[in-house]
Amino acid sequence: MKLGLVIDLDTCVGCHACATACKEWNGASAISGPLADLEPYGADPSGVWFNRVRHYEVGAFPATKTINFPMSCLHCEDAACVTVCPTGASYKRADGIVLVDQDKCMGCNLCAWACPYGARELDEVSGCMKKCTLCVDRVHDERLPEEERQPACVLACPTHARHFGDFDDPQSKVSQLSAARGGFGLLDELGYKPVNRYLPPRAVPVVAMDPAAPAAAPITPLAALSRLMARARDALSR
Amino acid sequence: MNPAFSVLFFTVLSGAGLGALALIALFDIGAAAGVVAVLMPPRLIALAATIAWLLVAAGLCSSALHLANPKNAWRAWSQWRTSWLSREAVVSLAFMPAAAIYVACWWWDAPPAARAALAVVVLLLAWTTLFCTAMIYASLKPIRQWHTRRVPLNFLLLGHASGALVVVAVLRGHGLAASHWALLAMALFVVAAIGKLEYWRYVRSGQRAVTLEQALGVAHGVRPPAAAGTPPSIMAARLLDAGHSRGTFLTREFVNHVAARRRMWVLAMAWGCGFLLPMIWLAVGLALWQGALLACVACAAGLLAERWLFFADARHTVRLYHGERTT
Amino acid sequence: LDKLKSRGAKFVSINPIRTGYSAIADDWIPIRPGTDGLLALAIVHVLLTAGSIDFEFLARYTNAPWLVIQAPGTADDGLFARGADGTPLIWDEGQGRTTAGITAQSQPSLFAQCTLADGRQARSVLALAAERYLDAEYAPEVVADACGVPATTIRRLAREMAQVAFRETIELPIAWTDAWGRKHAKVVGRPVAMYAMRGISAHSNGFQTCRALHLIQMLLGALDGPGNFRARAPYPKPVPPQIRPHNAAARVNTPLARPPLGFPMSPEDLALDADGRALRIDKAYTWEAPLASHGLMHMVIANAAAGDPYPIDTLMLFMANMAWNSSMNTSGTRAMLTAKHDDGSYRIPFIIVADAFASETVAFADLVLPDTTYLERYDAISLLDRPISEPDAAADAIRHPIIEPDRDVRPWQDVLVELAGRLRFPAFTAGDGTRRFADYQDFIVNYERAPGIGFLAGWRGVDGKRSLVGAPNPNQWQAYKDNKAFFAFHLPDAIKWHRYANLGYLEFAKKVGFVGEVEPIVMQIYSEPLQKFRLAGQGLYAGPCPTDPADRARLTKYFDPLPFWYSPLEMQATDGDAYPLHALTQRPMMMYHSWDSQNAWLRQIIADNAMYVNVATAAALGLADGDWAWVTSHAGRLRCRIRTMEGVEPNTVWTWNAIGKQSGAWGLAADAPEATNGFLLNHLIAEHLPGATPAGRRLTNSDPITGQAAWFDLRVRITRCVEGETGIEPTFGTLAALPGAMPPPGVLDWPATPADAEPAQ
Ligand SMILES: Nc1nc2c(c(=O)[nH]1)N[C@H]1C(S)=C(S)[C@@H](COP(=O)(O)OP(=O)(O)OC[C@H]3O[C@@H](n4cnc5c(=O)[nH]c(N)nc54)[C@H](O)[C@@H]3O)O[C@H]1N2
Ligand SMILES: Nc1nc2c(c(=O)[nH]1)N[C@H]1C(S)=C(S)[C@@H](COP(=O)(O)OP(=O)(O)OC[C@H]3O[C@@H](n4cnc5c(=O)[nH]c(N)nc54)[C@H](O)[C@@H]3O)O[C@H]1N2
Ligand code: SF4
Ligand code: SF4
Ligand code: SF4
Ligand code: SF4
Ligand code: SF4
Ligand SMILES: [Mo]
Repeated sequence: MKLGLVIDLDTCVGCHACATACKEWNGASAISGPLADLEPYGADPSGVWFNRVRHYEVGAFPATKTINFPMSCLHCEDAACVTVCPTGASYKRADGIVLVDQDKCMGCNLCAWACPYGARELDEVSGCMKKCTLCVDRVHDERLPEEERQPACVLACPTHARHFGDFDDPQSKVSQLSAARGGFGLLDELGYKPVNRYLPPRAVPVVAMDPAAPAAAPITPLAALSRLMARARDALSR
Repeated sequence: MNPAFSVLFFTVLSGAGLGALALIALFDIGAAAGVVAVLMPPRLIALAATIAWLLVAAGLCSSALHLANPKNAWRAWSQWRTSWLSREAVVSLAFMPAAAIYVACWWWDAPPAARAALAVVVLLLAWTTLFCTAMIYASLKPIRQWHTRRVPLNFLLLGHASGALVVVAVLRGHGLAASHWALLAMALFVVAAIGKLEYWRYVRSGQRAVTLEQALGVAHGVRPPAAAGTPPSIMAARLLDAGHSRGTFLTREFVNHVAARRRMWVLAMAWGCGFLLPMIWLAVGLALWQGALLACVACAAGLLAERWLFFADARHTVRLYHGERTT
Repeated sequence: LDKLKSRGAKFVSINPIRTGYSAIADDWIPIRPGTDGLLALAIVHVLLTAGSIDFEFLARYTNAPWLVIQAPGTADDGLFARGADGTPLIWDEGQGRTTAGITAQSQPSLFAQCTLADGRQARSVLALAAERYLDAEYAPEVVADACGVPATTIRRLAREMAQVAFRETIELPIAWTDAWGRKHAKVVGRPVAMYAMRGISAHSNGFQTCRALHLIQMLLGALDGPGNFRARAPYPKPVPPQIRPHNAAARVNTPLARPPLGFPMSPEDLALDADGRALRIDKAYTWEAPLASHGLMHMVIANAAAGDPYPIDTLMLFMANMAWNSSMNTSGTRAMLTAKHDDGSYRIPFIIVADAFASETVAFADLVLPDTTYLERYDAISLLDRPISEPDAAADAIRHPIIEPDRDVRPWQDVLVELAGRLRFPAFTAGDGTRRFADYQDFIVNYERAPGIGFLAGWRGVDGKRSLVGAPNPNQWQAYKDNKAFFAFHLPDAIKWHRYANLGYLEFAKKVGFVGEVEPIVMQIYSEPLQKFRLAGQGLYAGPCPTDPADRARLTKYFDPLPFWYSPLEMQATDGDAYPLHALTQRPMMMYHSWDSQNAWLRQIIADNAMYVNVATAAALGLADGDWAWVTSHAGRLRCRIRTMEGVEPNTVWTWNAIGKQSGAWGLAADAPEATNGFLLNHLIAEHLPGATPAGRRLTNSDPITGQAAWFDLRVRITRCVEGETGIEPTFGTLAALPGAMPPPGVLDWPATPADAEPAQ
């Protein structure tokens, strides 16, 4: 199994609902919660998030595109964050999920350094490294109705820009979406083989002009008016 | 990367200690093999070795300060199969008692053959430890300034140069000229300086730099639609909003900004204190303990500056996602 | 949006700023603010020129064939020619004469020009409209510069719409019957849809612009069919809905005869007293804002402080942060809240604020009524108010408490119900003079607007088995709770589409009280109520007419019965060279106005705001990313930080709405970024237009037709701050903590749910 997410950059509107839903679910989760917030009402509020949404622009006005870019752990196949971990706290499961065992972590930060994507964040209160769990405590929980056995962020996304599934299964929705839409892994050149795939914006749909469609050739208002009246008569007497 | 002082201290201090002990052990072996003269005088060598051992110990303690959850530190010995940090922990765990016995051998005049045999172990462990420490950084692909063979080379050379300086300082502090050691130290500093220059050349060359456009996948189509018929071009990307108004763990750890002026001063300190002052002192050769102490302190300060730059100049790919154009 | 895109639909965003939804648009049209009406009418021009029109739709479902009297200078000019019973006349091609109304057999003429029985001339609505919009004045090439949209783009948009509407139609095999009894074997959709909100309505030309957009949809016949903008229950309603606003002086112990807000049909419906003075404190339904169906909340404090139209003794504010983000001229408004008469007494003597949080407004209250939060009380989200319906389902919802309040608070709704009972409002008083409703829950379940119709549409009837209409059900709240707090009534296929003329739907809608009569809802290309007000402006109306020339001029100009475009009022009244930039706000998706800043997570995402400026514009102004700058409007200036971006129209600057906070408010630290780096654009937006009328009146900064607040008309200039000038301006000192307020925690973390706990659903 190779569980992971597809993130659709063609539909992500950058609302941060996935980020807050993630914090809500995982903050209360026994696996890595709580996710401490420091100075929550102070001058310099900060906290642990598994999923952050950033916003970029590509190109220059007017040919510019705003890209909303959510990032969480990509559950890399070649996860250096796991191999560098000296304590064995970081591990990759058979289903592909990369996790941190909170009981083993010594808070050395090395895994965070080894992750190219900023997917790991140290919880300064517990002293342990935390990261996206792919909602391991949802996706396999048979007590949940099947349609809810999905990560919190996927369920929260209002534009369905996030999909969860098994990339080992070529028939899965994530595999198919990724294949159909040119899904790519972030910074593939670093060789981490990230499992999560990002879908680039689709090509702009072309409204194919019917050659029979009347061309709006410039004519005088009067000529246009009489043509319009003729057409109206035609249309209504049918 | 945000320079973490505990780590700077650790690498500089233990580097010097490991370098000094490695050199002592090396010459000890050489002497036993009859290749070089016997190290003299034993009491001062013992003192130098002791100081070196203490430097390593201090360094290791300092590195523990870097841990947010030290109660699990013992687990760091478990993952030597994959983790350079774990390997460092394992090797240094072996090194410390071995080196302690070795130092004791010097103090208590153990039979030279036995001491030399132990020296082989100490030498190998010291080198391995130094190498492992360096590889912790050199193995990190997201940081191109670290992910190069020049890093272990620099660590080894600087460890040995500063280690040699420690031995010279002990000898000269006791009124000895220590000219061979000084010559060796000098040579090591020159080579280390060349190594460092090469390192900086490499960093400046921008080889293997990653861009924001790569990080976002602009070439994969994350960009405005290309006009019909034109090949997709790589367009410039920029950060619009980082999605947080104040600091996060990521900005604190990875995103540091060093003013050009400040960097200049630190660089000057690295060269001046870390290389020039020790080398002048080594050349002038005043055998006074005040001078020796000063040279060591200057060197430590200089190498801390060098290590600070090693961190401050390291541009992790996470910075791209926070808006930087390139690593 | 995901579904549309995956089906290959094209998503066009017309917005000066490319964030949020615009970010994922296939086509982004960075229009100049306030010019959408012009763009829309240029599209109309192209559609008419090309003849890409759904004539049948126009003839049946709109007032395009209705005859308009052409009698300049008379009281009937521009009104509809009507039959004896008031039914509008059309010219029937088949019969070759005018008829009152349309039957199944009618052949309405769209381009009629005829002489009425009384000898007056009349022309059909479409004839008037076509003549107007075919004029070169609306040619794309003419409007392109003003809109900032190239003429080729405008033509392309129009042609793409026509292509999709007429050549990519959707047909569903659903039989339905129209209001004239004609049977249709299928439902035809012309899949073009338009959505607009405050980008249009927060400009002072918003009402006419909305009408222009609606006109495009009518010309394309693209309404309430598959792929269209679709009504949601209780809509559609007749235009205007047959609800007149209350317009007589309120009398003690007497309920209003009609709702306080409604839709005036003619000048008689204005809320003016015998001397022509405003009856309402916000001056809604006066000559200055005749169709003010939303009221003019943004004028209440200014009017009250000025004692114009009259002084008040008590100002009661609920769920509105009027001392901050929901007022224009925030600094001035704050001064008004504490302004005094010469004798030292307050101009607004007593202020009651019901709020759930320590907002900026709470600090001005003489009496604070601490409300529960929405997690601690019952609420009804009713079909009678702002519906949550889906196009295919009439829906409503409730909230019910999920946590116990841990402090001395009361649901404001309970307070209101109790007040109404104590004051013996008739609807709240039983026959024996006692209170009729114990509390809000009781009121919601048992109050009936009409027999069988109450606030909640689900599980009605004593047995709880009836939907939409039915006797009150004492167990209704529980029924909602058992159904996850939602109710939805799904419309059968046959009455889902083209509901304005769908007989089955109209019969259903009458039965459940959505409409008053089973009659087709005819869309109004030409608005007769507007023409009546215009006649009043011209002094021709056979009824009340304004006397102030300023009102007369405004009515004459803006109350055009056909959609037209005019420059937004602030733009007309300010010097474009002195204030060359448009300044806008946008709502951040993750924040609800002012009251999410107290949320520990959301404020990590956005705790301050900056003014976004186009990269090239910033360079021309000598501004760099991160600079402090002065932003100046005719009403004042503020200091803030600049951020540059590519995705904004070069003449537009913008910032996030309501992120800036007063220091000490919302339980935040005094040096919270919201107060030290966040700012409100509202300081620069005046509640009055610059200058005064010849008679010395200040006119409201609103749409002259509807009184909708013109938040987005603002014009500014930006100058870089000199070295050392930093920090937000204006600031207002630090609010003291409220009595009994708990000090905020330094760390938020809480015990995790045990692994073996039941999963939350
Ligand atoms: N997250 C969140 N959601 C909310 C609210 C909230 O505070 N936060 N508030 C709710 C309320 S009360 C309301 S009224 C609605 C408002 O909902 P919207 O109307 O969507 O509100 P705004 O974000 O103000 O968006 C106005 C948009 O119009 C654009 N615009 C401005 N001027 C022009 C123009 O002249 N032409 C065009 N084409 N576009 C223009 C702006 O760039 C902006 O993108 O949102 C509701 N939903
Ligand atoms: N510059 C600019 N100004 C604008 C706009 C804009 O786009 N630009 N938009 C305008 C629009 S459309 C709107 S709707 C207004 C919105 O402006 P407001 O109506 O002032 O909106 P909020 O900030 O949501 O303020 C609501 C108040 O209700 C309080 N509150 C929250 N929950 C409860 C509760 O359960 N009970 C009680 N009693 N109080 C509660 C909050 O604490 C807050 O003080 O802003 C307007 N102002
Ligand atoms: S994204 Fe980072 S944390 Fe996640 S598996 Fe890859 S390297 Fe590890
Ligand atoms: S911080 Fe924890 S999980 Fe990460 S490398 Fe160190 S011990 Fe492993
Ligand atoms: S998969 Fe779960 S843990 Fe990962 S980002 Fe989504 S919600 Fe967070
Ligand atoms: S919830 Fe969906 S749309 Fe919103 S930021 Fe996350 S991925 Fe994007
Ligand atoms: S965006 Fe949020 S507040 Fe608005 S309707 Fe959806 S859930 Fe409700
Ligand atoms: Mo609103």
